[in-house]
Amino acid sequence: MTAGAAASGPLSREQAEALLFEEAARLDDRDLHGWLELFTDDAIYWLPMGIEDPDREPSLILDDRSRMEERVFRLLDTAAHAQTPPSRTQHDITNVRVVNVELDRAQVTCHLVVHEVRIGDPSQVGMAQARSLPGRCEYELRRGGDGRWRIARKVVRLLTRELPQYNLTFIV
Amino acid sequence: MRAAPTPDPSIDVAGLVIDEPHRFRVDGRVHTDAHLFSLEMQRIWERSWLYVGHESEIRQPGDYRTTVLGRQPIILSRGEDGSIRAMFNRCMHRGAVVCRAERGHANHFRCPYHNWVYRNDGTLVGMAQKSGYGDSFDTSEMNLVAVPRLEVYRGLIFACLDPEVIPLRDRLGPTAWYIDQWADRSPVGRIAVTEGVHRYQYPGNWKFQLENGVDGYHGNYVHESFVKILNRSGDRKQQEVVRTRNRVGSNNCAKGLPHGDGLLEREDGMLGTFDYASLDDYRQALVETHGQDRLADILTQRNILIFPNVYLFESHIRVMRPISPTSTLVDTIPTWIEGIDDALNTRRLREHERFFGPSSFGATDDIEIFVLNQTGVQAEAARWLDFSRGLARERVGKHGERIGHSTDETPQRAMYREWQRRMLVGEEMAS
Ligand code: FES
Ligand SMILES: [Fe+2]
Repeated sequence: MTAGAAASGPLSREQAEALLFEEAARLDDRDLHGWLELFTDDAIYWLPMGIEDPDREPSLILDDRSRMEERVFRLLDTAAHAQTPPSRTQHDITNVRVVNVELDRAQVTCHLVVHEVRIGDPSQVGMAQARSLPGRCEYELRRGGDGRWRIARKVVRLLTRELPQYNLTFIV
Repeated sequence: MRAAPTPDPSIDVAGLVIDEPHRFRVDGRVHTDAHLFSLEMQRIWERSWLYVGHESEIRQPGDYRTTVLGRQPIILSRGEDGSIRAMFNRCMHRGAVVCRAERGHANHFRCPYHNWVYRNDGTLVGMAQKSGYGDSFDTSEMNLVAVPRLEVYRGLIFACLDPEVIPLRDRLGPTAWYIDQWADRSPVGRIAVTEGVHRYQYPGNWKFQLENGVDGYHGNYVHESFVKILNRSGDRKQQEVVRTRNRVGSNNCAKGLPHGDGLLEREDGMLGTFDYASLDDYRQALVETHGQDRLADILTQRNILIFPNVYLFESHIRVMRPISPTSTLVDTIPTWIEGIDDALNTRRLREHERFFGPSSFGATDDIEIFVLNQTGVQAEAARWLDFSRGLARERVGKHGERIGHSTDETPQRAMYREWQRRMLVGEEMAS
C-alpha cells in the first residue's frame, strides 16, 4: 500500500512500516512539505532531553504544527548558516512494533539511526564528517475522515539526548 | 578536527594585541595556538573567579552536583548547616572521583575504589580495614580538599583556584549592578535554573563564543533566517526588527567594563521573541517590589558577559568550558523566574528553545560562524583580526566603562585588553 492510503481495519505492522519508511524517504529527499503532509494539523514533534516535563524543563525540540512549519520554512526558504551547505541525511528505521491499536488510532515504536553529513571543502572544520545519531521513536498515528493514517505525535529519544549536541539543525 | 598546532613558546604575548587610538587588532593565533591555550589555563582560568553553578541547583541540605572548575573536577554540595561548599571530586587515597553522578542527594560520598567514605562536607569518616594504617597515620589531612575560594552573588556561585584572589564583590565592581537588574526581573528577586541544560560542543576556540554574545553587529546577517521566521509568523516585521536594533541615539549600546566584562543593552526584546516584559501584571508586580523608578533599568534587555566563563542572558545562563584550543563546551541553562506565573515561564522556555536550543533557529547559526572563524584563522599568514569598530565614537562612563553604539566592538576590546593583561600579569584586579 502507499503511505497514508485509505484502508479499513486496524493498522497492521506493514501499514505502519510503510508510513514510517515513507516519512524517512521524504526527509532524505528533502521533500519537507511532503513530510509535513504526513502529520495531523495538531501534530507534535518532540525531542525530549532527560526530564520529560516540558512545562518546566527544556527539550531539544518541542514543535507544535506551526513550529514544524517554521522549521521547514527555515530549512527550505531561508539562508540558515548552520544548513549552508545543507545536511545530507539517511534515516534508517528498524524494530518497528505496533504496541497499541484501536480502530482509528495506533501507537508505533521503532528504532532510528540518522546518518548525516554536510558536503563541502573537506579541509574545512565541520565539513565532510559523517555522523550517526541513534534514537528510539514513539509515534501516535491517527486515521482521519479521509481514511488516511497520519502522524499525530512523533517523539524521538536520542541516545545522546542529555549530552552536548553539535549542529542538530536537520530533521531527525 | 585537525591536530592542534605545535606549541610555540616563542610567541610574545605583548605583541598579540594592538591597541591604538584608531585601530584595535588581535593576532589570530589566540584561537589556534596550544601554548597560548595552556597559558590561558594557568594565568586566566586558574586565577579567575569562575561561575560554577546556581544556588537553586542545590536547594536542600544534602543536595550536590558535580562540575568542573576550569578543568578540575569538583563537587558543589549543601551541608546540613545549609551552607554551600565546593571540594575537589578526588579521593585523598589514590585519586578516584568519589562522586560519579552529576547531581543528586547524599549524606556521604563513598569512593568506589577502596571504600573510603567522606561526609558531604568533605570530612573523611570511614576507611576500609583501617587497622592497616597503624596508629600514627594522620587522617585529619585526608579530608576532601576544599576549593580555595567560593562566594555567591545573587544566587550565582563563583569559585576560584587562587587562594589569594580578591573578594568576588571587588572583582565584579560595576558589573554587580547589572547582575542586580538581571536578578530583579523576578518580582521576588530570585532567578532559579531548570535542571535540564542545553549543551553544545563546537570545534572552535572558546573566545569566539565570548566575542559573539556581546556582538551587536552580526544580528541582521547571521540571524537573517530568524528575522525571516519572525516576519513570516507575524511576530515582528523584518524592517522593524532591523530598524530597532540599529537605532542611533537611543539607549541601545554596547559596553566594555573593567576586568573584561561586557554588555550589549537594548531597549526591547531579542528580535521580538515573546515579550512577557510588556505584560501589565508582570510589570505591576515588579513595580510593587522594586519601585517604578527601577522599572526601565530592570526591563532593559541585556547580554552580560562576566569574563571569562559566563554570560547572563534574559532566558538563560551560558557557561563556557574550553576543552582545547579548537574545542569548546557550552552549557545554556534556562532560567526560571520565581514569583511569576508558571505559564509565563513555560512560554519563556519555548521561546528559548526557538532561538537558543541545540536545534534552534538562532544560536545554531552563531555556532556555525565560530566554525567558519576557526577554519579562517588557520590562515596564520593573514594574522590580524580587527576590532576597531566604534573606536572613534565610543565614550567613557563614570565607572571607567567604555560605551559604544550597540553594533560597536567596544565589549570585545575590553575583553581582549583584560585577556592580555591577565596573560601577562595573572591575577584578577580590583576595580
Ligand atoms: S582511591 Fe579512593 S579509596 Fe582508594
Ligand atoms: Fe547571534
